[in-house]
Amino acid sequence: MSDYSIWVCEYSYVKNYHKSGVLYGAHNQGFVKLPYCYVVIKGRDHVAMVDVGYNDKDYGKVLGDRFGVENWRSPATVLAEIGVKPEEVDTCFITHAHFDHFGNVEDFPNAKFYIQEREIAKWVWAMSLPDRLRWMMVAVDPGDIVRGADLARQKRLVTVNGALSDVLPGIDLHAADDSHTWGSMWVTVRNDGQAQSQDTWVLAGDLVYVFENIHGPGAAVDEKEVYTPVGLAVGSQANLVLATEAMMKQVGYDSHRVIPVHEERLRDTFPSRITREGLRITEICLADGETSKVSA
Amino acid sequence: MTVQRRALFDRLTSVHRPDCALFADGPLPMPVAGPDDLAPLLGSDQAARYADACRPVFEDLRRVVGQLAGLMILAQLTDSSEVAGLGELASCRRRFDEAGERIRQLVAPDALEPHREQLVAAHAFSGLALGTFSELRPRGDNEAAFDTISRHVRRAYAHLSAATAEKAGLAMVDLSHACCSCGR
Repeated sequence: MSDYSIWVCEYSYVKNYHKSGVLYGAHNQGFVKLPYCYVVIKGRDHVAMVDVGYNDKDYGKVLGDRFGVENWRSPATVLAEIGVKPEEVDTCFITHAHFDHFGNVEDFPNAKFYIQEREIAKWVWAMSLPDRLRWMMVAVDPGDIVRGADLARQKRLVTVNGALSDVLPGIDLHAADDSHTWGSMWVTVRNDGQAQSQDTWVLAGDLVYVFENIHGPGAAVDEKEVYTPVGLAVGSQANLVLATEAMMKQVGYDSHRVIPVHEERLRDTFPSRITREGLRITEICLADGETSKVSA
Repeated sequence: MTVQRRALFDRLTSVHRPDCALFADGPLPMPVAGPDDLAPLLGSDQAARYADACRPVFEDLRRVVGQLAGLMILAQLTDSSEVAGLGELASCRRRFDEAGERIRQLVAPDALEPHREQLVAAHAFSGLALGTFSELRPRGDNEAAFDTISRHVRRAYAHLSAATAEKAGLAMVDLSHACCSCGR
């Protein structure tokens, strides 16, 4: 019995992203395609998202011109591929406040948003630091925080302090402090609704970018594989490794149940298809009674 | 009221809600030409000098606006008025004061005066929001104050957005360490 369907929906991508950004220490190892994705979790009574992407109106030109980010499509277009309208989304879990995860709240007018309190508090702190410490505040748009303030006024923003169980039935939030960002979090779906679930999925946000973050090269320490953290972190790589262990423990060390949303090769593990817009829909699992959105 | 202003008023009243930030006093937060747009007209030296002087102002205001919004979220959602006494608010006030001093010294070529006015307006609305934090009361009903802060912060951000100029280094997001930054 599965309560939720889960899809990873690509909404844009950059073709040549330096591998050392996604995998710590992978210097001079070339480039990888980095898809930008969000996750849709659809159950009988709720439609939830993990992250909401960025708004092309604000960033599209600079991202395209400077970094080669391509083929952005709106949530209305992307979600239509799985038969969902943005207006139907009632809950959004924001894994962290980077512009490409928290930058498009306006397209989800009926959703309540969850974010770690620490993500806001430490970002405010970082903004208060002298200019020589400016590195600690990159990739966050003050505008997203302004829009967050608007959500707060509309009673549509909830700040979470650490872990929170059953935000929606069978869906939990977990904090990973001082890791990729100051207050990152991941989302755990216990898809059989049981406390000791046998059908758990972890939606990792940017705590895991690619499969190698879990199955990294271990030869240097005489291991076949070791966790190798993502390259980008304002917190510590040690905390990323510890978060990886916590996520893996939740899924009984079955790594294919930890879903990295920037991983192009999800297509090799899960059924998927390319849409008319040239973006990939990956089907992680289907709820009872749900029909596939990727098979003909 | 001229026909043009009348049209603008009609558009605002038909498109925006009565509590929309656009109805507050001051110039409208509409995109204006920045130093990079006007460099061919002004000459690159003159535009570059203005852009150089603008950058610290823009950075100050970017941070002030972000901090004010974040502090308001924390104050509201933690139901705490203690935010008014936080060190972060004090540093925000210091940065606001520094921005004010820099704006006073900012001399814009005539063609860039509308750009400078957007920065002035962003600073002014930030000040209004900042001042409202002192109205938060312990265990009191702060809903009206939060509404006011939110409105002023939104307006300040709108003015600052109107003054962005990517090539001149007046950008809202530092993407140098972001998920798209591929060393181009």
